[in-house]
Amino acid sequence: MSRRRRGMGLTDPNLTPLLDVILQLITFFMMLIHFGTKIEGATRAIRLPTAPAGLPSSELGLDRLIVAIDAEGRLLVGPETLEGRSAGSWWADEARRRRRGQDVLGDPDDELPTLVVLRADKEVAYGVVRRTLVAAQSVGFAHFTLLVLRSQH
Amino acid sequence: MATRHTRPRPEPPEEVAFPVTPMLDMAFQLLAFFVLTFQVPSREARLDLYLPAGPVALPGQGKPATGPTASRAESDLETSLVVRAEADAGGKLKSLRLGEAPLPDSEALGDSLRRYAALLEGRPLRVVLVADDALRYEVAADLVGTCSTAGAEAIHLADPTPKGEGTGAP
Repeated sequence: MSRRRRGMGLTDPNLTPLLDVILQLITFFMMLIHFGTKIEGATRAIRLPTAPAGLPSSELGLDRLIVAIDAEGRLLVGPETLEGRSAGSWWADEARRRRRGQDVLGDPDDELPTLVVLRADKEVAYGVVRRTLVAAQSVGFAHFTLLVLRSQH
Repeated sequence: MATRHTRPRPEPPEEVAFPVTPMLDMAFQLLAFFVLTFQVPSREARLDLYLPAGPVALPGQGKPATGPTASRAESDLETSLVVRAEADAGGKLKSLRLGEAPLPDSEALGDSLRRYAALLEGRPLRVVLVADDALRYEVAADLVGTCSTAGAEAIHLADPTPKGEGTGAP
């Protein structure tokens, strides 16, 4: 008992294992921080198709327009759902607004620099996606990105 | 009488205390930074398409043009390949062709494009994808991704309605 009492004096805690664990955690987070991250507009309603490779989704420019196409082929823009002519007029409005901005900057060009990011459901017909791209293309958008899931193999 | 030499006793080694606390503080700060800025890794990837407003000219289709457009079209002919994908009633891939050569699947397409890109010796490879509108987008995205990873610098999505003849393929 006396020996035990003697040992209860002020002792430094061994911090080395704690430091080891923390450095491991830091390494873990540092390794993951460079991976692609989700672009805004991700929703469970849209199931992206799987495609080989593709670029990581984190290196997109600031001037971008994110749209989605659901399994029924409707164009989703934020909370709005557009179909048929309303979708066409929406593309025209967006192009007009951006062109006005370009005019203010003194950079008038037929081709808009905006990147159109398209998140389309894998079950939708390819024709719907193609016609959406054509609708955007016809008002001046030229840069597109299709979002997919990277295949595992 | 022999004198007795007494050796000086070696001093006990000086204990150096390693200051762990500042290092731990810094490590905690770093950890807090990474935890707060952490975002869940995603499998999302992107396939870039450059689709200028002009209509896509299928190689071997239409009349020969003149002027600067003609020279551009001619240079396109050398490096552009047509990939045709037909869909069955369920939207699945029924047939796949590179030019006129039938291919079993997208992997074979990737292999052929890679071999063709090697033959081009640095010149840009362009692919025109002519796919049925009824094809499921999942299949089409797979084809676009395959073309992109095989080295195609530009992928055009052509309207499948006007049926034209494509160029030969390896």
